Formats: sequence, C-alpha cells, structure tokens
Amino acid sequence: MGIWGDLLLTSVFIAVVSLALFWMAAFTLWWQMHAWRTPEVLASTRFSRPDGGEHVSFSLLLPARHEQAVLDHTIQRLLESTHTDFEIIVIVGHDDPETTEVAENAAARDPRVRVVVDTHEKKNKPKAMNTALPHCRGDVVGVFDAEDQVHPELLAHVDHAFRTTKADVVQGGVQLINFHSSWYSLRNCLEYFFWFRSRLHLHAQKGFIPLGGNTVFVRTDVLREADGWDPNCLAEDCDLGVRLSSVGKKVVVAYDSDMVTKEETPGSLMSLLKQRTRWNQGFLQVYRKMDWKQLPTFGQRLLARYTLMTPFMQAFTGLIIPLNIAIAVFLDVSVTVAFITFLPAVTALVTFVFEVVGLHDFGKQYGLRVRFVHYLKLIVGGPFYQVLLAGAAVRAVWREQRGQNDWELTSHVGAHLTHAETTRDLREDVPA
Amino acid sequence: MTSTLPAVTTPKVPAQRQPAPETRPAGRTSPPTRLRSSRPDLLLCGALLVAILVVQGWNIADYPTLSDDEGTYLAQAWAVQEGRGLAHYTYWYDHPPLGWIQIALLTWIPAALSPDSMTVGTMRAAMLVISAVSAVLVYMLGRRLSLPRWAAGLGMVLFGLSPLSVVLQREIFLDNLAVMWTLLAFALAASPSRHLWHHFGAGIAAATAVLTKETMLFVLPAVFVTMWRHSHRDTRKFALTGAVTACALIGLSYPLFALLKGELFPGSGHVSLWDGIKYQMTRPGSGFILDQGSGSYGVLQSWLYYDRVLILGGLAGGLLLLVTWRWSVTARALAGPSCAVVILALVAMRPSGYLPAMYVIQALPFLALVLAGGTASVAHAVLRRWRSGAEKRYVTGGRYALAAVLAIAACAYVVPRWYDGARTAVTADANAPYQAASKWLATEVADPNDTRVLVDDALWLDLVQAGYEPGLGAIWFYKADLDPAVTKTMPRGWKDLDYVVASPTVRRDAVDLPNVKAAMEHSTPVAVFGTGEDRIEIRQIQTASGGVR
Repeated sequence: MGIWGDLLLTSVFIAVVSLALFWMAAFTLWWQMHAWRTPEVLASTRFSRPDGGEHVSFSLLLPARHEQAVLDHTIQRLLESTHTDFEIIVIVGHDDPETTEVAENAAARDPRVRVVVDTHEKKNKPKAMNTALPHCRGDVVGVFDAEDQVHPELLAHVDHAFRTTKADVVQGGVQLINFHSSWYSLRNCLEYFFWFRSRLHLHAQKGFIPLGGNTVFVRTDVLREADGWDPNCLAEDCDLGVRLSSVGKKVVVAYDSDMVTKEETPGSLMSLLKQRTRWNQGFLQVYRKMDWKQLPTFGQRLLARYTLMTPFMQAFTGLIIPLNIAIAVFLDVSVTVAFITFLPAVTALVTFVFEVVGLHDFGKQYGLRVRFVHYLKLIVGGPFYQVLLAGAAVRAVWREQRGQNDWELTSHVGAHLTHAETTRDLREDVPA
Repeated sequence: MTSTLPAVTTPKVPAQRQPAPETRPAGRTSPPTRLRSSRPDLLLCGALLVAILVVQGWNIADYPTLSDDEGTYLAQAWAVQEGRGLAHYTYWYDHPPLGWIQIALLTWIPAALSPDSMTVGTMRAAMLVISAVSAVLVYMLGRRLSLPRWAAGLGMVLFGLSPLSVVLQREIFLDNLAVMWTLLAFALAASPSRHLWHHFGAGIAAATAVLTKETMLFVLPAVFVTMWRHSHRDTRKFALTGAVTACALIGLSYPLFALLKGELFPGSGHVSLWDGIKYQMTRPGSGFILDQGSGSYGVLQSWLYYDRVLILGGLAGGLLLLVTWRWSVTARALAGPSCAVVILALVAMRPSGYLPAMYVIQALPFLALVLAGGTASVAHAVLRRWRSGAEKRYVTGGRYALAAVLAIAACAYVVPRWYDGARTAVTADANAPYQAASKWLATEVADPNDTRVLVDDALWLDLVQAGYEPGLGAIWFYKADLDPAVTKTMPRGWKDLDYVVASPTVRRDAVDLPNVKAAMEHSTPVAVFGTGEDRIEIRQIQTASGGVR
C-alpha cells in the first residue's frame, strides 16, 4: 500500500469533490439560464400589457434615512405614475430632521404623500416598514428605496398582473445600471441582470422565492397576516419571500427592461463587501429560521436549502477549481481522474461565456454601449470577483458565529442619477 | 402556489412583442412537434426501418470483403475491452480514440457472452444498431426540416437502401459512427422546441462526431447554419454561443488528453498528437478527382460503381436547391444539408488532397436528404405551383399525369439497379477465403501459442481468438517493420517468424516493408484459398537450410 494507497485515496477524494462541484455548478448554470431556455419562456417573463382597468389601490412605502438629497426626486417621479389610486408613505427617523423636512414639504404639496416617523432606538429597514404597515390604506403595499427611479407605468402593469394572475405577491425587476463605473460594478450589474431577468422566474415557478428588497408588491392583508417583516433579520426581504412562499402564497415575477427599477452599485469595493456580507448573513439567518421546512415537496426544500447556501458553496468552488487543476497537472494521478478534475472548470468556462453574451444582451436591452474593454474587464475581473464573494461569505459566517447582527451601512454615490450631487449613506436591499 | 406570469400558451400573452414569432418559413407541411406521438410517422418510419435492417443485416458477415480498417478499429476496440489501453500496439494519435471506444462499448455485451464472436465478420452485426439509429435520425431530421412525410421517408430509403450505403454501412468504419453523431447534432439543432439545452446538446454531439472521425470537422458549418435558421431571434445569441462553446470544450478534451499524458508535442521516445496530425495532413495526395488515372478518380468510380443515383442525384438535388433558393421553401429549409453537400463536394475536389474510400460515408445522409428535398421541390412545382382554385380540370389532370410519368421513370431507372445491388449484398460470399484461412490457422497449426504469424488487420482477431499471442505472436504485418517494440523481438528478421498470411493487402504493401517483403520471399505457400488477385495464401517461412524454423 503506502504511497499507492495514498495516491488512490487522493484520487478518489479529488474525483468525488470535482464531481460534486461539477453538478453544483451545472445546476446553478441551468437555473441562471432559465429565461432563455426557449423563446416561449423568455416571452412569459415579461409583464403583460395592462388593459386600462384599475382595481387595486397601492400604498407605496418609501423608507428614507439621511437621504434628503435624492428623496424629493424619487417622490416626484412616483407621483408621475399613470395609475390613479395610490398613496406614498415616506418613513423617516425621529433623529433625522433633514430628511423629515424634505418629506414634510412633499406631503404639504401633494395630499397623496404622507409621512410616518419611526421612533425605534436602533433603526433598520424592517422596523421602519413595520411602523408604517398599520397606516397603509391601499389593497397592496409596495416597497421602494429612496434613490429608486421608478417607471411611471409600473403601477398600472403591477395592477394588471395582480388581477390577471390572482397573485398575492408581485415582484418587479430591479436593475443596477452603472456597469461602466468600475470592474466590480460591471459584474454586480450582471449579477442583477441574471437574477431578476432569469433566475427569479425559475424560483417563482418552483414555488420557493427569496424576494427582492424593492419593487416588491404584497397584498396588504397577506402582509398583515404574516406580521410584516422580521425586524431581526438582515435579509428581511428574502425572509418575507421564503415565509410567504412556504405557506403557499402565489408569487409572480415580471421583468421588462423599460419597467425595471434602476439602481446603482455600492460606491466602493468595501461597501460592496459589507453589503454582500450582510446578505450572506441574512441568508444564513433565513436558513436557520427553518420556515422553508414547511414547503410541501422535497424538491422545493432542496431548492431552498441550495439557494440559501449558494453564497457559501460559491466561495468554496472559487477556491477549489484552481487547486483541482494544479493537482491534475502536477500530481501523478491517472488520466481519468485528471479529466474529472477539469469538469468544474468546464462549467465555469461555460458560465463565463454565457456571462459575456449576457453582457451583450444587457447592453442591447438598455440601449447602453458595451465596449470591448468592458468584455475584457468582465473576463479578467471574474476571478477577483470570486475572491470578493468568497471573502464576503467567510466574513458572514464569522460575524454570524460571533453574534454580530447589526446593519453595516452601504454608501452610494448616485451614479445612476444624472443630477445627484452628494455622497450619501444608505443601504442596499436586494439579494443577488 | 407560486408561478411566473402565464405562459404564452394561455390567452394572457404579453403583447409588447410577439411572444415567440415563428422564424421558420411557413412551409406547406408543418411537422408535428412530437413525432413520437404521430402514428403515421411512426408506422412509416418503422416499416422503412425494418426493410433497411433486413437488407443491411442479411449476409452482413460475408459481404463486402473484410477491410483492413475494420480489423484495425475492432482490434483496438478489443484492446480497450481487455484493458490494454487505447490500442494493443502503442497508440500514436492516428485518429482520436473515441470511435473505437464506442465500438468497444457497443460490442461489450456480445463479446462478454461469447468471446469467440469478437471477430470482424461477426461483429459487423453491431453496426446494424448504428445504421438503424442513423436511418431514424435521417427521417426525423427530414421532418424537422419541414419535408412532407413521403419525402422524409424517401430520404430514409435513399440513405439506408442505396447499394453504396448498404456496402459501406455494413462495415465497421468510424465514419458510420461519426455520421450518427452528426445526424444527432443536426436533429438537435433543428429541434422544434428551440430549447437552449437542445442546441447545447447539438454542440456536444457535433464535437463527439469530430472526435469519432476528425473529417466531420467539415460538416460543422452546416450544423451551425441549421441552428441559426432554427433558433429564435430573441434567444439565438445564447443558443449559438452555447453550442459553439460546448463543441469547442468537448473538442479540446482531445488535446487535453494528450497534454495530460505528456504527448501533446513531439519529443524523443514518445508519440505525440502533433506528429499524428502532421502525418494525417501530409498523407500523399491521391490527385484530382476528375483527372482520369488519379487515385481519387478511381475512388469516385468505385462509388459510382455501386450507386449513381444517390451521388449524382444528390449533387443535382443540391444544385437545384441552391438555384431555387429564392422561390423554394424546401430549398431554404434544407439549407443545412445542402451546405454539407457543397462543402464535402468542394473538399473532395481539392486537387492535391488525399481521398479515402470511406470519405463518401459522411456525405450519404446529406445527399439523401438533399435528393429527397429536390424531389419534393419538383413534386411541388409540378402539382401545386401557379395552381388556382379555378384551374381547369384537364390541367390538374395533366399535372398528376406528369407527376406519375416522372415517378414511374425514376422507379424504372432506380429499382432494377438497386435490386441488383441488394441481391448481391444478401447473397454474395466474398469472405470465404478469409474464413477458410482463419479455420486453417486455428486447426492446422500445432502450437498457436508459440507460433509467430504476420497477418493483416482483418484476420488478426481471428488468430487471437484461436490462441495466438496478441501483438507478438499474431503480428499486424506492417508492425514488423514500423513498430520498434515489435522489431526488437525479431533480431534475426524474417527468420524469427513462422508464417505470413498473404492477403491482397499484405501483397500490396509488402513492396515498401523490407521485413515483410523478406518474409514473403523466404516462404512457400502451404495453403491457398480463393483464386486470382483475391486469393489468400498461408506461407510458411523456410530457413536457408530448407527446413522450417
């Protein structure tokens, strides 16, 4: 035995790990490409055209914290909506007089705007929204962020979707748009593109869906029945989606490039890392809450388990692939085993190619000019982004272990707003 | 319960864009989306399949003559089965090994049940599986390319029953396996559901075809054309890049294999992929195909000897479809196969290229489909073109009369020729000398285990089954000159051998192989089977003193 036995053991171990990684990556790819499977699937991911009738009234929640610079613009744009029956509830903190002033001014100008003050000592988004929930008069509660650019016809489309599909929840698309800002914003934009354009539709179809943090609409009675958002969860949006779909509520997702809510990527690498850490930690918390165990089928529970653990597996994959190839090339393993070690790299390559095509499609959909250098950045940045994701995953586990559950704020620079002036501190809420 | 927005099959279709507008031209026949559940298609395809299998399977072991290449591939498949690596002599990257790995899998169960059956004649039966799958794929592809049922059936008949097909598809050639994979790639590329993963699968199948027989590279552009025509505008870029990526990645596994074995580049003391490719690329040309007296011309004549209809008719059909591209729906639907025919014809016309006899195999399904499509086009022109509801009855009658005359004329030309071909195929016994030689060597030699015989590839496995030592006892004759691993066991040259089985191949090639030539010169026939050019002599080596070793 001796060396022979060791080598055999190593070979078997590597082969097993490689095959597991291969299947994981293959499934992720399969789901990521969901929307483009057939032309029919792609067509079904869009909003259907509203027929002009209006049957649903909206209460739009707009939590704002130190966002006096962009808040007024966002409110004005929301007021331009073509839908006629909605109210805007701006939620401000009692310790934030600047934002409160902007909100009060808007409320004075237009009766459809109301202000709710959140007096919690430690503030976070779910607490703010729970504060506003009793004040909602509409049939449907919608959530936006203070810096969101909302399309005027969105509400009419959502109204139509509620009526025609008998849905309890409608999730609209959210899209990061400033892909030209930096190498990581390019990848970040593309993550959103694949998530909202494609993957989320698969989740809706399978009956397990982590919702996004904004452009999400829930029937008010359903939301109240569920006791609103979980104030202690770092990914309260994801958690709400998991809880609602676990008890069988119907969720509908629709993505239209001209109807998405446009957002921006975090302004620095550090804030992106913090944001991702928070999501990952939130996913961990949702996983540990076990609400997903109520899902009726084994397949759904497996999907839930897998989706909530994805950030951590992703981190693991990023580290293993190079190691595997090194083993295949430098260790004296058999050719068959060496071949197997290349399998995860093959799926990674295919994913890479589809990302390049996705970037092209993203440019086409949004009328943005994607240059050669962007494709180059996408490819070269890939491994580094993987490192970032791995870092965020490790950090999330670390913080969760030490019981650090506070919100790390993410700073935004307003790159998607043509006339945004100041750097603000706010947070980011969409899981990707 | 959750779901996405209603699928397009419901009335609540998103209307901003056409949900999934049909990119395929509106043909006169829309093929059923699920052929599996179409009874007339199943019945027709099944009946034709039985006919094809009967004609191809009957007498398969005895006709045509065993070919050296069949022996080579089957022997290498045997080596794979026995766990001796990719070949029983050093694998030298002459072809990618995937072809005979498939043959090994295909013959695994029969070889395990009855080890004696692992000889060329017997194992030809395994090729029937390949022929059957390919023939069904031709029908399916025809239907997916919007051919009417009768034309798809015609394509299947042309592909499976042409005397040329019957001869070539019976033999254990890598090309037949590669054709099957290529047809699968075409069928997936033309998948009616236009599923991303069908197109991805088409890429994988195309790469498998190339790794089975590298000449399939020429047909890849035609697969691409088919996929382009059958994909939808909105998903096309994902489908096509997916397919190309899949094809490239699978294809790269071959150089990767060589790299992992340290045999990608030439070096002393080992074979290499580089040298293998160089050998294939620098094979001496066989001349211009239309130049009488060139090797290529001879090859062309040998194809035409078996069947003119499929080759000349297929080329004419391809030409017709190209010319009528602008008016004919069928011509556009058959763009892929026409493209394949054109490329393969152009490659065959290279003035200095090497044209092997098997080359035509990869063209057979496309010639068949293009000829069937051309026929459908002509039939449509005769019966339907410029026909209005108010057409006079005698004109309509004339149309049908003309169609009937054309059909009868075509049958009158084709049927007798094909009947002759089929009759030869099911009755001729071309391999009696081989079988007799095999029997003689198995029964008349006292100690096979200790006897060394130079033999051609076709008979090699027979000897192995008879108890001769594979490789150094039963020796592929040219290895006695070309493989150092064999020559070093023959320090005294021909004197270290016992027998030479002088088949036509051995006699032809001995001219360039000194050891084989010497063995032939220093041996006398102890048994002769057959007569004339095709005879097989078993020659025993005579040492200088006049005795045997």
